[in-house]
Amino acid sequence: MAASTMAVPQADVPLSANLKGKVGMWCLITAESSIFLIFVVAYLYYAGKSISGPTPAQVLDIPYFASICLFASSGTIMLAEKALHRGNVKRFGLFWFLTLALGVIFLFKTGAEWYRLIYHEGLTISTNLFGTTYYSLVGLHAFHVTVGAIGLTTILLFTLFGAVKQEHAERISVFGMYWHFVDAIWVVVLSVVYFITR
Amino acid sequence: MAEAQPIVPPLVIPQEREGSRPFVQVLHDWIVTVDHKRLGIMYFSYGILALVIGGIEASIMRAQLAVANNNLVSPEVFNQLFTMHGTTMIFFAAMPIVFGIANYLTPLMIGARDMAFPRLNAWGFWMTAFGGIILYFSFVGGFGLYGAGSAPDVGWFAYAPLTSPAFSVGHSTDYWTIGLLISGFGSIATGLNIMTTVLCMRGPGMKLNRMPMLVWLNSVMAFLILVAIGPLTAAQLMLLIDRFLGGHFFDTQAGGSAVIWMHFFWIFGHPEVYILVLPAFGILSEVIPVFSRKPIFGYNIMVAATVAIGFISLSVWAHHMFTVGMTSYANAFFVASTSAIAVPTGIKIFNWVGTMWGGKITFTTAMLFSVAAVAQMLIAGLTGIMLAAAPFDWQLGNSYFVIAHFHYVILGVIVFGVFSAAYYWYPKVTGRMMSETLGKWHFWLFLIGFHMTFDFMHIPGLLGMPRRIYTYEASRGWQTWNTIVSIGVIFQALAVLIWVFNATKSYFRGKIAGSDPWDAWTLEWSTSSPPPDYNFAELPVVRSRRPLWDLKHPEDPDWKYE
Amino acid sequence: MSAESQVKGGSQKPSVLMPAPTAWPFAMAMGTALVFTGLLTDVSVSILGAILSISGAIGWFRQVLPHEQHEALPVEAPAPVPMTVHPKREVMRLPAAKEVQRAWLPLKIYPVTAGVKGGLAGGVAMAIFAVIYGVFAYHSVWYPINLLAGSLYAPSATPTIEDMRHFNIGWLLFATAMHLTMCLLVGLLYGAMLPLLPRRPIVLGGIIGPLLWTGLLYHIIGYVNPILDDRINWWWFAVSQAAFGIVAGLVVERHHRVWTAENMPLALRAGIEAPGLIEEREHGDKK
Repeated sequence: MAASTMAVPQADVPLSANLKGKVGMWCLITAESSIFLIFVVAYLYYAGKSISGPTPAQVLDIPYFASICLFASSGTIMLAEKALHRGNVKRFGLFWFLTLALGVIFLFKTGAEWYRLIYHEGLTISTNLFGTTYYSLVGLHAFHVTVGAIGLTTILLFTLFGAVKQEHAERISVFGMYWHFVDAIWVVVLSVVYFITR
Repeated sequence: MAEAQPIVPPLVIPQEREGSRPFVQVLHDWIVTVDHKRLGIMYFSYGILALVIGGIEASIMRAQLAVANNNLVSPEVFNQLFTMHGTTMIFFAAMPIVFGIANYLTPLMIGARDMAFPRLNAWGFWMTAFGGIILYFSFVGGFGLYGAGSAPDVGWFAYAPLTSPAFSVGHSTDYWTIGLLISGFGSIATGLNIMTTVLCMRGPGMKLNRMPMLVWLNSVMAFLILVAIGPLTAAQLMLLIDRFLGGHFFDTQAGGSAVIWMHFFWIFGHPEVYILVLPAFGILSEVIPVFSRKPIFGYNIMVAATVAIGFISLSVWAHHMFTVGMTSYANAFFVASTSAIAVPTGIKIFNWVGTMWGGKITFTTAMLFSVAAVAQMLIAGLTGIMLAAAPFDWQLGNSYFVIAHFHYVILGVIVFGVFSAAYYWYPKVTGRMMSETLGKWHFWLFLIGFHMTFDFMHIPGLLGMPRRIYTYEASRGWQTWNTIVSIGVIFQALAVLIWVFNATKSYFRGKIAGSDPWDAWTLEWSTSSPPPDYNFAELPVVRSRRPLWDLKHPEDPDWKYE
Repeated sequence: MSAESQVKGGSQKPSVLMPAPTAWPFAMAMGTALVFTGLLTDVSVSILGAILSISGAIGWFRQVLPHEQHEALPVEAPAPVPMTVHPKREVMRLPAAKEVQRAWLPLKIYPVTAGVKGGLAGGVAMAIFAVIYGVFAYHSVWYPINLLAGSLYAPSATPTIEDMRHFNIGWLLFATAMHLTMCLLVGLLYGAMLPLLPRRPIVLGGIIGPLLWTGLLYHIIGYVNPILDDRINWWWFAVSQAAFGIVAGLVVERHHRVWTAENMPLALRAGIEAPGLIEEREHGDKK
C-alpha cells in the first residue's frame, strides 16, 4: 500500500542539518552559562564577606574604555559577517581585524588592571575572599576572551592567505555567536563586579 | 518472541570481519574510530568495566560490615573504598553506560547515519576514559598521609572542609577533582552532541512527536547535562583554586562557606540522578511496549512528564541538605518541590502499567528486567517521598535508610534498565541472540540478591546505623541485618558473572538474530544486525511513531490514527 | 557528515560517504588530560600534554577544513530489505474495542455533573447515617459533626464528651466545609473511575473501596491522633462510608455515559468548525 512509496515533503524535516553548527553552539553557550552562573552566584554570595581588606570600593576602577572596546567588537564582528555574506572578503578582513584589535585591547587593559591590583594595591587571589572571587570570575571571562582572540587570529590568518570565501559565511557566523556570548557575559560580569557590589 | 522468525539473514557476521586481521590493526581501528556505534560500544564496555571495579569495592565494604567489630580493612582504606565506589559508579560506570546506549541508538532510532559531530563524539569518549584513568592513577600516584599511594577519601560529594589543604594533605583529593573535571568536559561534549543530533539530524518524516521515547528521554538527559554539569565543573575549578592558588571559596577561616560547596555540588548532584535515570526510563518505555504488543500508553503525557521531570529536577537539590539546617522557608520550598517531582514520575509508572494492561505479554529476560524495574521504581519513589519530608529526613538523613533508598533507584531502576537494554539490543549490536536460559538465571539471582541487600538495608538505617562507618559494636543490634545485606551481594556478583559469561558465549555461539528478532517497531530494527557502518543504505521514511509497524501492516498502519 | 553523504550511484558498487576515522580527537583528549595531570605530577607532563593537545587541535582542524575528510564505504548489499509483511498475524484486540479498530479506553465516561451530583447525594446519605449514630449513641446530633471538625481543627486539644455533644457554630461551619469538599472530590473521583472498574463497579466502588479506606484510617489515626481514635466507632464509620459509596455510585450510574473527546481532532475539541482542516479518515473512523 501507500506506506512504502509515499513521498514526504521536505518541510517534514524540521531543522536542516545545516543548522547543526548553530545548535551546537547554543548548547555550548548553555553549558558555559551554567558555569558562569555558579561563579557569579559565588561572587554575589561572598560580596562584602571578606574579613580583611582591600575592598572593591577601595581598589576597583570601572573599566569604561575596555568595556566600550569589547562591546564595540560585537558590532564590528557583525559587520564583518555581513560583508562575508555578501561576498566582500576585503571588507570582511578589515572588520575582522578591527574585532581582533578591540578584543586584544580589552585583554591588555584587563592585564594592566591586574598588574596594578597585584603590585600596587596588594590584592592577589589569596589575599581575601574578594581577591579569590574577583580573579576567578574576571579571569574565567578573560580566559574565554583569550580563546576567542586565538580563534579570531586563526581566521584572520586564513583570510590573509585568501582561504576564506563566501561559502564559509555560515561557519564564521557560528564563531561569531561565541564572540557575542563572551560580550554578553561581560555585561553580567561588569554590572556585578563593578556596579552592583562595589 | 518465538513466532517472529528472522526475516533477513544477517549480511555481516562480526568475527568474520575482524577475526583474520592482526590485533594491532583492530586496536588501531577502534582508537581512531568516529563511528557512533563503535563509540557507543566503547562507552558501554568502559562503563561495565568500571561497574565491575566499583562492584568489587562495594563487595569489600560489605565483607567488612558483614559482622560487628570486623578488621578486614582499616578505617582509612574503608574511607577510600566508599569514595572510590561512589565516584566510580556515578561518573565512570553509570554515565558511560547511558552515554553508550544513547550514542549507539540515537542516530539509529531517528534515521541518521551518525551523530552531528562525530569527531567531538570521539573526543568526549576519550576525555571520559582519561578522567577515569587519572582517578585510578591516584592508587599509585596520589601521595597521601602515609607517603604511599593514596586514593581520595573524602566521600563522593567531597564536602568542605574535608577537602581543604589542611585536612587533605597530598594530592589524593586533586586526583578526584581533576578526574571529574576532565570527564565533565567529555560529558558536556556528549550532551551537546546528543542534543544537536536530535534537533538537526532526524531522518525524513521523523518529527519531534514521532520520536521513540528513548530518544525523547535522551534529549532531556542531554539538556540536563548541559545545565547541570556546568555547576560541577565550576565547583571543581573553585576547589582547584582553593587548593593550588590559596583561594578562599570554601575556607571558613577566611570567611568562606562550607555550605556553599554543598549547594554547588547538589545543584549538579540531583539533576545528575535524573541524567542517569531518564535513559533507564527510556529503555523501559521501549522494551515494555514491544513485549506487551501494544504501543506505549499515553505517549504525549509521557513526553510531557519527562520534560516536567527535567525542569523540576533543577529545583530540588537542597533536599540533600535538610540536616544542614536551612531556614524553614527553604525547607518548605524543597519539601514541596521534591514531593512535586513524584507526580510526573508517578505518571510514568501508571503509563507503563497502562501499556502492559490488556497487552499480550511475553516475559523475555529483557521484559522481566523492565517489569522489575517498574516495581522497584515505585518502592524507591515511596521511600523518596518519605525522605522528602524534612522532619523525617532529620531523623534518617545520612543513615543506611538513605543508602538503601538511592541504591534502590540506582540498582533497582538504572542497573535493571541497563540489563534489560543489554538483552534487548544485544542481537542488534552483535547479530546474535543471548541465551534466554542463562538470562533467566541472571535475572532471578540478581533479583533475589538485590532484594536481600537493599530491602534489608532499610532496617539498620531505621535502627540508627549511620552511613560511612567502617564497623559497629555488636550490642547495637545491627549485625543480623548487615549479614543478610552482605549475603545478598554474593547473589548479585554471581548473577553479573553469569551475564558476562552469557554475553561472551553468545557472541560466538549465539543463535543468529536477523534484523528484527523481537518484531519491534522502531527504526534500528529495520537495518541489518549488526548495522552497517552507514546505518541505512537508504534513509527510511517515517510517518508514525511505529514506522516498522506501518511497513509490516500496510492494511492497518499507525499513521492513519496519529 | 551524514547529511552531506549520499548514496553514490557509481558505475558498479554504490557507496556512502562517512566521516573518515581520525586519531586527532584521541590525541587532543590525551593532551588535555596530561595538561591537568601535570598539576599533580610534574610540569614536564603538562608541557607534553600541551604539545599533544595543540597538535591534536591542528590535526582535527585540518580534518574538517578546508574540506571534511570522508571515506566512501561501499554499500554491501543492495538496500537491505528489512521487512516482509507478516501475512497472517493474529492481532489481539481488546474485548472492549470490538466495534472499533483501535481502542482509546475508556470509550465512554460519565459527565462531570454526574460525579458532582453523586458526591452530594452520597454526602447526604453519609451524614444521615452519622447523625443517626450520634442520636443513638450520645443522644446528640452534634456529636458526629464535632468529631469530624476535630479531626483537623480543635480549639482545645482534649474536648470532653460533654463538649462534643453541644452545638458549636465554628465546628459546625468547619465540619460542613470539610464534608462538602471531601464529598465533591470523592464524587468526582467516582465519576471518573466507575467506568474503569471491572465487572461490578458498585460493589468495588461502594463497598470494597470504602472498607479499604476505613481500614487504612483505622490503622493510621491511632498514630496520628490517638484521642480522636478513641472517639470513633469504627464499625459505624465503615457503615457510613459504605452508604456514601453505594449512594454516590448509584447516582452516578443513573447518568448516561458520553463519548470521550480524546479521539476527536484538536479542532473539534476546541469547538472550531473547520471543514478541510480536519483530515478525512479512510476507515476505522473514530467516534
